[in-house]
Amino acid sequence: MAFLLRRLAFYLAAFIAAATINFFLPRLMPGDPIEIMFASAGSELSLDNLNALKLTFGFIDAPLHEQYLSYLKSVFTGDLGRSIKYFPLPVTDLLGRALIWTVGLVGLATLISFTLGSFLGVMAAWRRATLFDSVVSLAAIFSSSVPAVVVSLIVLFVFGYTLGWFPNGYAADPMLDPGLDWTYISSVLYHGALPMLTLVIVLTGGFAVTMRNNMINLLGEDYIVMGRAKGLTDSNVMLWYAARNALLPTVSSLAIAVGTILGGSLVTEVVFNYPGLGNTLYQAILARDYPVIQGQLLIMTAAMLISNFAVDLSYVLLDPRLKGA
Amino acid sequence: MKLLNQLLHNRKALIGLAILILVILVAIFAPLLTEYSPVKRVGRPHQPPSWEHWLGTTRIGHDVFSRLVHGARVSLAVGFGAGLLITVIGTVLGIIAGYKGGVVDEVINFFTNMVLVVPNLPLLLVLAAFIGQASPLVIAIILGFTSWAWGVRVTRSETLSIRQRDFVKSAEMLGEPGWRIMAFEIFPNLISIVGINFIGSVIFAVITEATLEFLGLGDPNTVSWGIMLYNAQNASALSVGAWWDLLSPCIALALLGLGLALINFAIDEIANPRLRTGGMLNRWTRMVRLGEGKL
Repeated sequence: MAFLLRRLAFYLAAFIAAATINFFLPRLMPGDPIEIMFASAGSELSLDNLNALKLTFGFIDAPLHEQYLSYLKSVFTGDLGRSIKYFPLPVTDLLGRALIWTVGLVGLATLISFTLGSFLGVMAAWRRATLFDSVVSLAAIFSSSVPAVVVSLIVLFVFGYTLGWFPNGYAADPMLDPGLDWTYISSVLYHGALPMLTLVIVLTGGFAVTMRNNMINLLGEDYIVMGRAKGLTDSNVMLWYAARNALLPTVSSLAIAVGTILGGSLVTEVVFNYPGLGNTLYQAILARDYPVIQGQLLIMTAAMLISNFAVDLSYVLLDPRLKGA
Repeated sequence: MKLLNQLLHNRKALIGLAILILVILVAIFAPLLTEYSPVKRVGRPHQPPSWEHWLGTTRIGHDVFSRLVHGARVSLAVGFGAGLLITVIGTVLGIIAGYKGGVVDEVINFFTNMVLVVPNLPLLLVLAAFIGQASPLVIAIILGFTSWAWGVRVTRSETLSIRQRDFVKSAEMLGEPGWRIMAFEIFPNLISIVGINFIGSVIFAVITEATLEFLGLGDPNTVSWGIMLYNAQNASALSVGAWWDLLSPCIALALLGLGLALINFAIDEIANPRLRTGGMLNRWTRMVRLGEGKL
């Protein structure tokens, strides 16, 4: 319990740090930041917009520390201000709509690549120094050294344009009404295939490597030898003695990878014109819609912290040594 | 020197070095490799590859090959510049935290962990957005100051184990000052980790610079691979069939990333001979930098 509370306190501090960056950045800009933001966003300077923007960044008639506290208060009550481009749409609405697509895409892609990667890692470690191992390892180097933007563009070029197997953009056929019927769902799956493929290519290598690395370190342990000495079958020792224990550190690498995964999906969504967080953010960057750009940092940070906390929880459940702590 | 010698006897390192040297040579001799200026209109828009324009032209009639070879300069400069900055900060903080211990360690460790849980790319996007059209130099600097945390974590944990060793203890007994022990007793033993951190950071910086520019946060007048991607994407290069415009910088980035990754891998194999018998890729995780290396 104390362990979890300590982690919670730390995550709270980290989130406040991200919010603090958001608070001070506009104040570090030379001149009047609000006017600069409006000028670079190219929108009309109506009084309403101006006041809304001032509130977004906590520019109130008060000393700095009170501005800071009022900003933190609005952040913690879920108010991230209003978009400049889509005024008066609140940033939380804009990002919330996009978040659903990103979570679906990223969630499924992570699940697939984690399963596939861990499986490949276990097999490669078990058949160390065979052809299979070398092929997996080389593929993993490649998968983890080529940027997501490059992978997604090549996937789009090959499967979208050259072969024409899959659509080149959007989350679903724009002619269809969203609903829980099969036509719509199949359209979503069809449109999501290429972004999904990209993310799986980008992510699988890292998971395979982590798993293989953990496995190899475990294979020398006494209890593996013991399992074999007991006459258990190879696959039994591999799965229930080695892989099970190797999974623990892999789960923690998953939490660290969340930032990477979100980053990867950001670029992938832009390439495939997928209506998730990444694409919304891209539009915001092009329009210099500062409240949205800042809002995504807080949302991404929150996502990262929540997944880290989920891993902490799973550690307590998976690793009996932490239970008493 | 010994490390260099061993690198030259490792096949993966050789392939990686060959790729890297090729890119470096191309960058140095860029003006000699092409008669075209990378920033002038030298042909009709979106011409496919031909004898005149080896990799075709862009939508506004720039020569793609000329932009590619000149762009290598920016990618390498940002990669190695930011990589150096990341490595220096990470190594110095890591050694100090690991060797000094106590409050110093706790403070550094706290900040390191905090930087690790704030997602890197979204943070960079916010910083770059407020800076405005960020030049490659600015991108390299903000990369350097936001991405050192992984290096601190690895260097610190390695320092923690080295400081227990006898030669450090005896140096302490002899009354050597702390900075001397850190610089001359501990640092030389970290050289492979520092090397891996450096190459990993270069990969990270090259990728991230290209990504930021692709997302429209770079200075559009720069000649770099990221800006090439940005322009090609804005010109809808793929949908109008101008694949050369987009795929050229893609392949260049993939090649450079792969070359650097192979070198990194080889350093790890040499530094940890135990790994070699274990097939490939044993401690690859560290190099891949699961947390931040990939975008």
